[in-house]
Formats: sequence, structure tokens, C-alpha cells
Amino acid sequence: MRDVAIVSFAQVRGDPASGLPEVLLLVPAIRDAIARSGIPRRSIGFTCSGSCDYLAGQPFAFVQNLDATGAWPPIAESHVEMDGAWAFYEAWVRLQHGDIDTALVFASGRSSLCNLREVLCLQLDPYYLSPLWVDDVALAALQAQAVLAATGRTEKDLAEIAARCRRDARANPFAEVSGDEDSAALLAQPYVASPLRAHDIPATGDGAAALVMVAGERARELCERPAWIRGLDHRVDPQYPGVRDLARCRSAEIAAARAGVASAPIEVAELMTQFPHEEILLRQALGLGEGVVVNPSGGPLTAHPVMATGLVRIGEAFRQINEHGRRRVLAHAASGPCLQQNLVCVLESETEAD
Amino acid sequence: MPEPVTEMKQMVALEYAVRPSPLTLDYLGKLRAGRIVGHRCPECELVYVPPRGFCQICVVPTQTPEHEVAIADRGTVTSFTVVDPIQYHGQTEREVYALASILLDGASGTLGQQRIADVPLEQVRMGLRVEAVWIPEAERKSDLRDQGAMLGGSIRHWRPSGEPDTPLSAFQEHIV
Repeated sequence: MRDVAIVSFAQVRGDPASGLPEVLLLVPAIRDAIARSGIPRRSIGFTCSGSCDYLAGQPFAFVQNLDATGAWPPIAESHVEMDGAWAFYEAWVRLQHGDIDTALVFASGRSSLCNLREVLCLQLDPYYLSPLWVDDVALAALQAQAVLAATGRTEKDLAEIAARCRRDARANPFAEVSGDEDSAALLAQPYVASPLRAHDIPATGDGAAALVMVAGERARELCERPAWIRGLDHRVDPQYPGVRDLARCRSAEIAAARAGVASAPIEVAELMTQFPHEEILLRQALGLGEGVVVNPSGGPLTAHPVMATGLVRIGEAFRQINEHGRRRVLAHAASGPCLQQNLVCVLESETEAD
Repeated sequence: MPEPVTEMKQMVALEYAVRPSPLTLDYLGKLRAGRIVGHRCPECELVYVPPRGFCQICVVPTQTPEHEVAIADRGTVTSFTVVDPIQYHGQTEREVYALASILLDGASGTLGQQRIADVPLEQVRMGLRVEAVWIPEAERKSDLRDQGAMLGGSIRHWRPSGEPDTPLSAFQEHIV
């Protein structure tokens, strides 16, 4: 495999009241990521983006986003109707071809324009679940019940995870919510969907993110502390949640094994945990011990720019190496109901050759 | 044995908020006041109508007043089509009409889906000079849904201005 590193990352938080189009959230995100990379914009070899037209309710909404790249003369680009973490995966595969050395990845979404819980019903199978309009929060609550029953953990554990995320989010300028409550105060809140309460549900927002990745030695020339991609894999569980053991996350287990998570200790993990029980489940599936710091950014419970949240995990993990001197970190992204699809990325401060 | 299910219907309706951008609201407000405006890129000098807030080639923001330029309410037909409206349910058009792409004086790109009227259809042609026929100011409205660059709430249609035709060489790069 070719050594590929992330050399820059940028994020923009959207203000739903401003009415700014999605492309104008992307303009500063892409501009900053490219400026920080030190690569001339027109020399980038490949561009890949992730978004979902259902959020804006406009067919081909993603095409307008391409204007933020200044795609003239024409560029080589691709789009995934998925979180930007999967665009990151495609760009990494593209760089493995060996003929180009640089890629731009971006993701964006304005979920404030839609009723997200309704829209997410449409990702379910069209025969048995979608007609019931069972939404992502209801399905997550079922999985939370299964996880608590299987592990012996309690709602207090969920509240403690939520309280920790809200405290950590106070230092994150992109957080939608933050707070300094103790778990007892959170447990006093009413259920939204038992056992989940309002603080157990992701704080959705509008936003955009972009990163630049570079293959080989050039990454070191451009960036003092690049984050090398040492393992990257994504796997998917069956679409119908009823055929799964919801207390396990098989696809995450396989992705973690394929990404080589266990070959050395992980210091920090940025996980796309939209609900606190997912942290319990993923710590187990990814083999993360109690010593691993999870979501120091506050995670998706406090900032969920839908379609960019997974790419932000990768960006936050990059920052752990680039800015905070960590040596081995993990980024995770998820898609579908009940952690159906999982992407695992291991980033390190050094390559194998080092 | 019960009959096998071969078909099922699922009614899906999703509701969306429409929040026009401040740039769009500004553009529509000026249009209601009888002015067409664009944004000029400070680097490549292309003029975008309607304003986009940034240059799509240079990726330079153009969100401040110094980037705004006045655009004439007249221009050249670069291409056109004659539409014979099929009378499907909800169709409001009854007569044959012409839609054109117009390169407004001062703009760098054409505006599509512009209604041409006050001229026999067989006289609509590439190079024809046209001018706006404005809706009376009190009746103008902001029409976000108008496909023709949102001009339709303030401009009723375009008619020949009587100027000599523009030679093809002056607009051929705008013909796709």
C-alpha cells in the first residue's frame, strides 16, 4: 500500500437562520483546507465529496456544491451520497492507483431545511420498516435497550457519557450544545424514546468540512506533522435491523480487524457515536480499553453536521496528531440505522518505514 | 392460499423549509425596484447574474457592495426555442410561445428561460436585440421559483428593442 497522509483540515459551522446556501459553507472550508495544505488549488489530483440531496430536498443539490472547488479548467471528481468519511475512503483508494499524489475531500449538509427524523426513515427497507415511519431515534432506543440488557450497564452510564461529551464540547467552537451538568441532573430529564433522553440524541446542525491528503514524502515536505493512514476499512451489517443482534456490531469488529486497530495501543478515538450506548458498543467492537480517550471534541452528541460528521471525526483525529502530539489515534464513521455500516481509520504520526 | 402480494403503495411526503439566502433577497429587492444587478469577480472580472456571492472559477468571495455592478435591462438573444404547450393537467399556457437565452449587456453569462413576446414567433432569432418589459412596480413580487434567474416576478417578458442585430461573432462563445 502507498503511504498516504492527511496534511490539513478545516471545518465550518452553518447558521440555519442565515439562509446561506450550502456552497457558501463549503467555500471557506475548502479554501482554508487548501490554504493550510500549501498545495496550489489547481494542482490537486482528485476531488471527492459526500452529501445527501434529501437534506435540501433538491435533486442534484450536490452538483451546486462543486462550484466551491472552482472546477475550471475541469477537474477529476467524484461524489458519494454518503457521509464525507466514505468520500475520504474513495479518495484514499484513488491515491493507491499511484498516478496522482494529492486529493481534496469535502462534505456538507444543511439538515435544518428538512425534518431529519422523517428523511432518515427513507433509508430503511421499503417493504417492512419504511411504511411504519420508524425513525432513527426509535431504532436507536431499541438498540440502547439491547445494549443495556446485554452488558448490565444502566441509564446512569448513558448519562455519564452524555455529561462527559457536553463538558468536552465547551472547548469545541463547532459544538451545537455543551454543558456542565452531572449525570444525576441529566437523568432527571424525561425520556424522548426510552431509555434515551434529549441529551442522548445528537445535536444536529448545518456545516461543512474539508481535508487534503497527500501520498508519499511530499506529505512531510508540506506538513510538519502529517497523520499517516495506517489502516482503513469499512463494512456493513444487514439492512434489516431485525435480523441482527443489536447488542453486537459485527461490521465494526471486522472493519477494526482489517484496519489493524489491535496491533498497537490507541491513544484517542473519535467515534461517530450519535447515541451514548453506541460508545459502549463500539468500545467493545473496536477493542478500545478504558484508557482510550473517546471523543475529546464532544463528539456527535454535541455537534452533528449531518453528512460531514464522519469526516469531522477523521479531521479531529488528524488534529490529535498534528496539533496535540498524539502518535496513534482512531477515527470512526457510521451510516444507516443502529450502526449498520462502520468505517474505521487508524492514523499514526509515522509510517511503517519510519 | 391467500393471493400473493405483488404490489404495495407507500405514500411519502416530505416537507422542507425554504430559507432564501441574503444575497437572493437583496437581488430580488433590487429587481422589484427596477434594477438588475450582478457581482464582478475581482480576479477574473467575470460578472455573475444573479449574484452568487463568490466566483465559481476563482473561488473568491464577492459578498460586499464593491463587487456589485449594474446590469442593463437589455441584451442579445443567443439561443431560443418555440414551445407548443401540451395541455397536461395544470398547464397554464394555451398558445405557442418563445423562450430564449439572453446575454444581458454587462453580464458574462446568459440567462435562460426568458419569455420573448411582442414579436411574431418566426422573427425570433439568434442575435436579436431585446429589452425588458417591466411589470408595474406595485405588482412586482419576489418569485424564488421562477426558473429564469428569478426575473419573472418583476419582468413580464422581453421584446425587440429595435437595435440592429448583434453579429454572431460577438456572442458565439455563449452558444452551447
